[in-house]
Amino acid sequence: MRALDYAIREAWASLWRRRGASGFAVLAIALAMIVLGALLLLTWNVERLLTQWSSAAEFSVFLRDDASSEQRGAIEAVIDGSGVIEQRQYVSKADALTRFRREFAQLASLTEGFDDNPFPASVEVRIRPEAERDGRAEALVRRVAALPGVADLRYDREWLAQLASGLAAVRGAGLVLALVMALAAAVTVASVVRLGLQARGDEIEIMQLVGAPLAFIRGPFVAEGVLQGGFGALMAIGVLWLGFTVVATVWGPELARLLEGGSLQFLPVRLSTALVAGGMVVGGAGGFAAARHAV
Amino acid sequence: MIETHHLSKFYSRGLYALRDLTLTVGKGEFAFLTGPSGAGKSTFLRLLLLQERPSEGSIVVNGHDLSRLSRREVQEYRRGIGFIFQDFKLIPTRTVLENISFVSEVLGVPPAQQKRRAFQVLKWVGLQHRMSAYPRDLSGGEQQRIAIARALASDPVLLLADEPTGNLDPDLSLEIMNLLREINAGGTTVVVATHDRELIRLVGRRTVTLDAGRVVEGA
Repeated sequence: MRALDYAIREAWASLWRRRGASGFAVLAIALAMIVLGALLLLTWNVERLLTQWSSAAEFSVFLRDDASSEQRGAIEAVIDGSGVIEQRQYVSKADALTRFRREFAQLASLTEGFDDNPFPASVEVRIRPEAERDGRAEALVRRVAALPGVADLRYDREWLAQLASGLAAVRGAGLVLALVMALAAAVTVASVVRLGLQARGDEIEIMQLVGAPLAFIRGPFVAEGVLQGGFGALMAIGVLWLGFTVVATVWGPELARLLEGGSLQFLPVRLSTALVAGGMVVGGAGGFAAARHAV
Repeated sequence: MIETHHLSKFYSRGLYALRDLTLTVGKGEFAFLTGPSGAGKSTFLRLLLLQERPSEGSIVVNGHDLSRLSRREVQEYRRGIGFIFQDFKLIPTRTVLENISFVSEVLGVPPAQQKRRAFQVLKWVGLQHRMSAYPRDLSGGEQQRIAIARALASDPVLLLADEPTGNLDPDLSLEIMNLLREINAGGTTVVVATHDRELIRLVGRRTVTLDAGRVVEGA
């Protein structure tokens, strides 16, 4: 406990004494944490929206114009009996035309030249989230697609899968970039701490000669790195939050439309804390490496 | 207190700093180590402080065989040794009292005890009135007295001094030597490396003379 108390007091004093160099190290960690934090912010939001969209999964069964009421009844019976749906709604040809005219008012005139209503009747099905995850929804879709009277079936899972795999690629590339930057930040911290080690050469020599435990000798330098890392990460969170607020204020309505009602959220406390802890680990590693090399 | 047997320290290409040194310094003894520059005085002290390891032979200090100590044991061993340097090595950012209590602090002594012991030794060297000053505000003699007080803070059984009067005028040098004699009178073994023959003559204690790494007188 005394070693920890001593390390923190000495580290704090050293940070203040060499605030210029320490500020530089804090900035380096902040840059690395901004990259990592932005990546977290992006992937966490996309993952959240993916979950949201997946839980609201639907499919539409378009019926042939000549489908009989028995065929429609058989299709609905298969859907109802599957046990994986939350809701089912039949949309007649007339309803589909009305909906098109309402949702695409500017294109409504295009539908006036037709003799017949070109829109097919359909059955719209909302699937339970767990059925989406365990593959039962997929099985139901395949079964319904093969039934007589079905003209087409729209089940938009592919784009979600593509988005998820794109997200994994972004996460991978971002992680590599963040790791490289974290390494660079650790090296910067180590260099700054090494300057402190050189400036306090006599002090360290005396500590070694009086038989001070290593925890007392190295501790302040590790703590200095940890503090620099923590401040850097806090600064990164501040910058990210500012950037996020600007984006949400300026492009909020457009984003809400683009995300079909979904909204972006800032990193939750859990991830923000993890980011600060990450900064402290990077800084501490830099401080430890420098102290271990010197003592 | 100190026993060396055929102790040698050499560097690359056969450059000997100490050669075949067999020497005994008894418990409670005061001994001078003298000789010209490069004779091996400082190397001997560095070996005693375990800043360097012997190339050949053995050193036993207060029952510790220095060639066999682990890292942790080296820390333990050093806690019983005080040291004084020619350039004082005081920490410029700490006050006089903090320079002394620093030793107890990094050894994990409780804060109240640190201050009490620091004040005690500061009073002993007669500089309690300068406890809040910084080293830059002190004269050379005062700085060396603070360094002596710091060396005494851990209550050592052996005190090593490497040219402790090298930066001081003759009067101050004698004053420092008197302090070291008083410490010795309290039972602490004292070994002083110096090339100041006049000072040795004035103090009049056992003298071991080294030359080119060998003992030439007083073993």
